Amino acid sequence: METIAFWAATACYALATVGYFVWAAFRADRAGTAGRWLLAAGTIPHAAAVVLRWIAVGHGPYNTRYEVLSANVLVLVVVLLVASARAKELGGLGAFVAPLAFLGMGWAVSSFGVRAEVPIILRSSWLVLHVGFAKLFAATALLAAACAAAFLVKARRTEALRWLPSAARLDLHAHQFLLVSFLFLGVMIVAGSLWAHQSWGRYWGWDPIETSSLVTWIVFGIILHFRVLHGWSGRRMALLTFVGLAFALTTVYVVAIVVPTIHDAYLVGG
Amino acid sequence: MYLAALSGVAAWLPWVRASGLGAPAWAEAIGLDHPFSSLAFLAGVGALFASTLACTWGRRSRIAARARGALPVGSIELEGAPAEQLRAFLRARGFRGEGPVLRRHAAALWAGWVLHVGLLVLVAGVGVQQAFHDGANFELAEGETARLDGPGAVFQRERGPLAPRDAPALEATLLAFDPYLRQEGYAPDRRSRVLLRAGAGPGRVLDLDRAEGTRIEGVDVYQAIPTGYALLLDVAGQGIRSVHLHADGPRRATAEVAAPGGAPMRFVLEAERGLDDRSGAGAISVRMGSAAGEAALGIGAPFAFGLAPARLVAVDRWAGFTYERSPGMPAVLAGFAVVLAGCVLLVFPAGVARIEHEGGRDVARVWVSRGGDVLADEWRSERDGGGGA
Repeated sequence: METIAFWAATACYALATVGYFVWAAFRADRAGTAGRWLLAAGTIPHAAAVVLRWIAVGHGPYNTRYEVLSANVLVLVVVLLVASARAKELGGLGAFVAPLAFLGMGWAVSSFGVRAEVPIILRSSWLVLHVGFAKLFAATALLAAACAAAFLVKARRTEALRWLPSAARLDLHAHQFLLVSFLFLGVMIVAGSLWAHQSWGRYWGWDPIETSSLVTWIVFGIILHFRVLHGWSGRRMALLTFVGLAFALTTVYVVAIVVPTIHDAYLVGG
Repeated sequence: MYLAALSGVAAWLPWVRASGLGAPAWAEAIGLDHPFSSLAFLAGVGALFASTLACTWGRRSRIAARARGALPVGSIELEGAPAEQLRAFLRARGFRGEGPVLRRHAAALWAGWVLHVGLLVLVAGVGVQQAFHDGANFELAEGETARLDGPGAVFQRERGPLAPRDAPALEATLLAFDPYLRQEGYAPDRRSRVLLRAGAGPGRVLDLDRAEGTRIEGVDVYQAIPTGYALLLDVAGQGIRSVHLHADGPRRATAEVAAPGGAPMRFVLEAERGLDDRSGAGAISVRMGSAAGEAALGIGAPFAFGLAPARLVAVDRWAGFTYERSPGMPAVLAGFAVVLAGCVLLVFPAGVARIEHEGGRDVARVWVSRGGDVLADEWRSERDGGGGA
């Protein structure tokens, strides 16, 4: 059942990608609408797959590459849907999110069969906050970068990506996503350090991912300073948003794979 | 930026990533053997505190003035329509107020200030915590009691310059220990039952595992990962003493101790299977070596432990624990809370607008924390085309 739900979700994301592509390439509005519906529809079997795995292994989606990536993709799509319900013009970002969701599911399935027991230190209520906000942080950082990328395209050719709002609004949305991402990363770090104190008696241990998260938070803080205090916007901010995304992706996906860390369990598998 | 770069580089240094690996001479020479307590790092933290303080200083009065309608140079000017239309346009975008000054998310005007104050409290809290921090490891075998402030009871102690000189006056007894206890829903892991007594107070029996520590009289005690085999010896005149062995191979553990009289002695334990085999280590043999030679030890058999007669009572396990005293933690947590409050406020788009009548026309001067260009575009669109919000 879980397998069927997972593949149904993946198929929805794949078809949504095709729909968005046809929409963008051939200006076929019906394909765009279909892409939007398919992306939203994919979240239903996807959530079912996550819940079924949760029931099967007895813990939330935070302990193997499949569980983590699948849940990260679900959070990304849901955050986009929530954001676009609030600001309808953001619905067009699905053209960026759908292929990412499809690729993320592709990476996740590489460890679909891996099921690992969780260590006892995961028995903490801080875990929910720490992991939940890590996923929200990754999703909002990606959406900020998607807005920044769209801004760069529209700033060069106003008529391009006509399904997205004006360059000025994209710049504003990129800033909003970056701000929220900064907040989520802060909560993630704080919850993680309180959890570490609960389990080990120290709230900070300079573990590579701890350090990388702190560096990313500082980098996000610097980027936001440039905008808020020095009035940077437009192209320069868009490029800085990509710098922020590079740090975010390194923290969430790269460090745990290339360096021994107390966090490496969450990308086990494959 | 300096701190971010230093932290990023320091976290990748091989001797930081792998415990027990010594730093090279050049790193020691420039203080990078312990990068996160090095002068370079502390100077960066000090500079961060100073720059944050400078950034925060005087900001409060500027924000208060802005909230009253004293807008900074560079605010947007919306004009070309009567005051009521300007007011309606601004109200549709979240601005509220009856007089000439309208505000949007007034509390969010203070976001940056709250965030900076939080950072100051946090950095100061970390300073206090590091100055008073005290922590160390200790080991107990089943049935063994140790006073942490006793000689040799704790090791690898780390304490801040203002921390108490002695380890806490805490007495700990290990009542039971299981290195591979399965708790439902989790992988097998350590679990201990300990009796803790602070000073002359009554003792408390507590179960400890690696998920959470326990607090007694301001001291937090945690179950640690290290464990190993222990030899319980009945030494004449000293009672039951335990010798903690450390793995010296997959099936072998050793310990070197000074026997009564000062002679060095070496105990060697060898197991049939792996020392940490969860199905059991199989048959175990124990040998004792000294200058006089080597001999096998059997349970209950007497032997000369230096100048004192002794006998091996049992082969058991020791468990590792840590204790921590961190009196600065409340300040650190308060700092975290204020920083997060500032971040939450930052998410709301603050704004102040002042509607004036000057030179025969109505004009709204608007300051917004973000989206000024978008607001100006929307006003032009509404004014010229009569578009809605």
